[in-house]
Amino acid sequence: MPRETQAEENFTLDRCPACGRMRYLNHDMEFRVSTICYHAICTVCIRNNFHQGPSKCPIMSCGKTLRTKDFKKAWFQDLGIQREVDIRRRVATVFNKVEEDFQDLDSYNAYLEDVECLTDDLVNGDDDKKKLAELKLQQWEAEHRAEIERNRRLANESEATRRKRMAAEEALAQQRRELEIQEEAEEKLKERKFREEMLDSLQQGEQGKANEAVNKILLKKRGQHKKDVAMEAAGAPALSIRGLVDKKRTAAVVDEGPYDPFMGLDLLPTRVDVSKERLAQYDNDTLKKVKMDDAWKAGGYSAEEYLSRALFEAFAGLGVFVDEEMGERGVSTQGAAQAAATGVTGGKMDID
Amino acid sequence: MAVSPVVTELSRPATELRAAASPLRSLASGQASSNGTPKPVGALRKNMGGNPPSLDLAEQMNEDEKRKWVKGKKLGEGTYAVVFLGHLRDDPSTLVAIKKMKKVSKDYEEGMSHDAIREVKHLQELQHDNIIALRSVFSSKDQNLNLVLEFLPLGDLEILIKGDQQRKIPGVRYGAADIKAWMGMLTRAVWFCHENFVLHRDIKPNNLLIAANGELKLADFGLARGFADPYQYMTANVITRWYRPPELLFGAKHYSGAVDIWSVGTIFAEIVLRNAYLPGGTELEQVKLICEAIGTPTEDNWPGVTKLRDYAVPSTNPVRGKAYYERTFEILGPEGADLLMRTLTLNPNRRITAKEMLQHSYWLAQPQPTRKEDLPRKAGGEETMGADLKRRPGVVEEDRGSRIARKLDFGAG
Repeated sequence: MPRETQAEENFTLDRCPACGRMRYLNHDMEFRVSTICYHAICTVCIRNNFHQGPSKCPIMSCGKTLRTKDFKKAWFQDLGIQREVDIRRRVATVFNKVEEDFQDLDSYNAYLEDVECLTDDLVNGDDDKKKLAELKLQQWEAEHRAEIERNRRLANESEATRRKRMAAEEALAQQRRELEIQEEAEEKLKERKFREEMLDSLQQGEQGKANEAVNKILLKKRGQHKKDVAMEAAGAPALSIRGLVDKKRTAAVVDEGPYDPFMGLDLLPTRVDVSKERLAQYDNDTLKKVKMDDAWKAGGYSAEEYLSRALFEAFAGLGVFVDEEMGERGVSTQGAAQAAATGVTGGKMDID
Repeated sequence: MAVSPVVTELSRPATELRAAASPLRSLASGQASSNGTPKPVGALRKNMGGNPPSLDLAEQMNEDEKRKWVKGKKLGEGTYAVVFLGHLRDDPSTLVAIKKMKKVSKDYEEGMSHDAIREVKHLQELQHDNIIALRSVFSSKDQNLNLVLEFLPLGDLEILIKGDQQRKIPGVRYGAADIKAWMGMLTRAVWFCHENFVLHRDIKPNNLLIAANGELKLADFGLARGFADPYQYMTANVITRWYRPPELLFGAKHYSGAVDIWSVGTIFAEIVLRNAYLPGGTELEQVKLICEAIGTPTEDNWPGVTKLRDYAVPSTNPVRGKAYYERTFEILGPEGADLLMRTLTLNPNRRITAKEMLQHSYWLAQPQPTRKEDLPRKAGGEETMGADLKRRPGVVEEDRGSRIARKLDFGAG
C-alpha cells in the first residue's frame, strides 16, 4: 500500500483508529506502532486484542496477523518515515560493507547503488518488487553470514577507537587553544621588539643603507618564522585517515605471480626467422666488409641488427588487411579503403 | 570530384573546393593512422562555420586539432622548447603537457629543427607503457610546432636520486626492490626502442620521467634515429657525456644499440650509488674515468679499438672483475652485479643487448621488484611542484600570508 495514505489515514495522535477513544478524554493514552503493517493503535487496544496471542490487525482494511511484540513506540510522527528508517536499519545490518572493503571507487559506488536500489524497492516498490527485494536480502544474508559478522565486529571496534580518538582530540584542541593564546602574546612582544630594532638600525645606518637594513631584518624575521612553523609541524599529531583503498591490504591479496621482465610483450617477428644462426647465413659482399672491417667492428655496428631490420622492412605490411584493422575508424579511413578498393587514386585528379 | 569521399562530404563553396582540390593531399593527411593525426571529417563538420574559407584542408584540420586542446600555465622552459600544462577542451580532467618547440637556430628558419622532427617521427610510432606517449601534433601561429605529450607530474629519476637542490627537496629513500622495478621499466623501454630499430641516443636520469601511477617513462627523443644502413655515417657526438659509451668517445661512426645499453648501465650504477658514476668534465676526463672505473680498452679486450679515430687512453688498467662489482654494488646481489658488469662491458660487440638484459636471472632473483604503485615518489608531490612554479625567484615574501593561513587552520578546532 502506498506510504502516504497510510500515514494520513492511520496515524493520528488524538484518536485511536481501533476503539475510537479520544486523547481529549483520556489523557494517558499511548500509541504503539505495528512493525508489520505500520498501523498505530492505543495500548489499551493492543492489550485487549492481543493478550491472548496472535490476532488480526484491528484496522479493518488491513487483515495482517500481529502479536503484542510486533508493536513498538514510533520515533517519528510520520509513520512512513518510521517505516523507511526501520527498513534501512535492517538493510544496513545486512549490507554492512565499508569503503575500505573495496579496491576502487567504482566498485564501491556500484555496491552502494545496488543497496540503495534494493532499499528503495523495499520502501517504495509494489508487492512484486518488495517480495523480490526481500528474497534478495535474505539470500545475501545467508550467503555472506560470516562476512557480515566480521564487518559488524570491525565497525564496533572502529566505533570504540573513534570515540577514544575524539576524546584525545578534544583534549589536544584545548591544549592548543591555550598555546595559541600564549603564542599570540609572544608574537606581539616580538613584533614590538622587531619594530624597535628596525627603527634603531634605520637610525644608526646611513641613508643609502636603509633599504638593506630593512631587508636584512625581514629576512631574519622570516627565518625565525620558518623555524617556528617547522617546529609546529613536527609537533603535530599523526592524523588517522579512513580512506577508500587500502593499498597494503589489496597488495597482499593480489598476487601477480612471478615477475615478467617483458611484461607479456613478445616482439619476435612471426614471418621471418631472425635467430642468430639464421642471420649468420645471410652473406654478401656488402655485409662481408661490415663484418670484417674494424671501422664497423670496433664501433659495435651490428650486421644482425641491420639484417633483422631489413627483413622486417621487407615483410612489413604483408598480412595486414586495412579493411579489418581500420573498419571501425570512421569515414576518413572508409574513404581511403574505398579509394584503395576501387583503384581510383588521386593521381588522376591532378591532371585537370 | 566524387572520387574522394572526404571532399564530397563537405558541400563547401567553390573557392574552398579549389583550395582543397588535390585529393591526394587530403587523403594523405587523412589516412595517416598513427596517434595524434587528426581525423578530418567529423572535426571538419563541427567547425564549418568557424574558420575563414581561405584555409585549405590541411590548414583546417590543423586548426581543428589545435582547437581540441587548451594551453594552460607554463611548466618550464628549456633551450629548445617551452612546456605548458594543457588539457582537452572537452574534458578538462585529462591533463597533457604541450611542448612548443622554439625556433632557436637561424639555420632552421625555413623549417623545423632536427629535434622536433626526430621527436615526432619516433614518438608517433613507439607506443609502449614505458615510453612517453605523443597524443597529438599541431602547429600554432607563426608555424610553431606543438607536441601534445602525456603529462607526467612526478618529476624525473634524477630528482628521485639526488633530490632537487634548488628547491631543497631531498632525494627519496629507496631499496633494492625499487631499483629493480625502475631498471625493469627502463630496460623494457630501451628494448622496445631497439626492437623497433630506434636508437634513443640520449638516455639519462632526467629523461626518465615518472607518471602519476609510478610508471617510469623514457622521454626526449630529440636525438633519436633509426638504425643506420651499413655504409651510412652516424655522428659520434651524441649522448650526454657522463652516459656516453667508449666507442662514441673514440669517435666511432658505425655503432649499434649497444650505445644505449651503456647509458642504461651507468644509470644502473648511478641509482645504486646515488651519485653519477662517471661524471667526466671533458671528454678526455670521461675516457680517463672509464679507464679507472671499468678498465682500459685495449686490443686484447676489444679488437680493433686502437683503429678508432679518437682512440687515446691515459693509462692501462686491467678490466675490473666480478668481485669488484659485487663489492661496490653489494645491494644488487650477485645477479645484479653480473648484469651491471655486462652492461658496462667495454667492447660493444660483447656488451649485453636489451633483450638479453631482460632474459637475465636478475629479474627473477629476490627481492621481487616493487609494484609500480608502491614505488617511492618525489618528496613534496604535485602540490609543491605547482607552488614552486608559481613562486618568483629572489623575491622576499611578505610574512602576512603564512600568519593568516595559520589562523584559518581548520584542523585546530
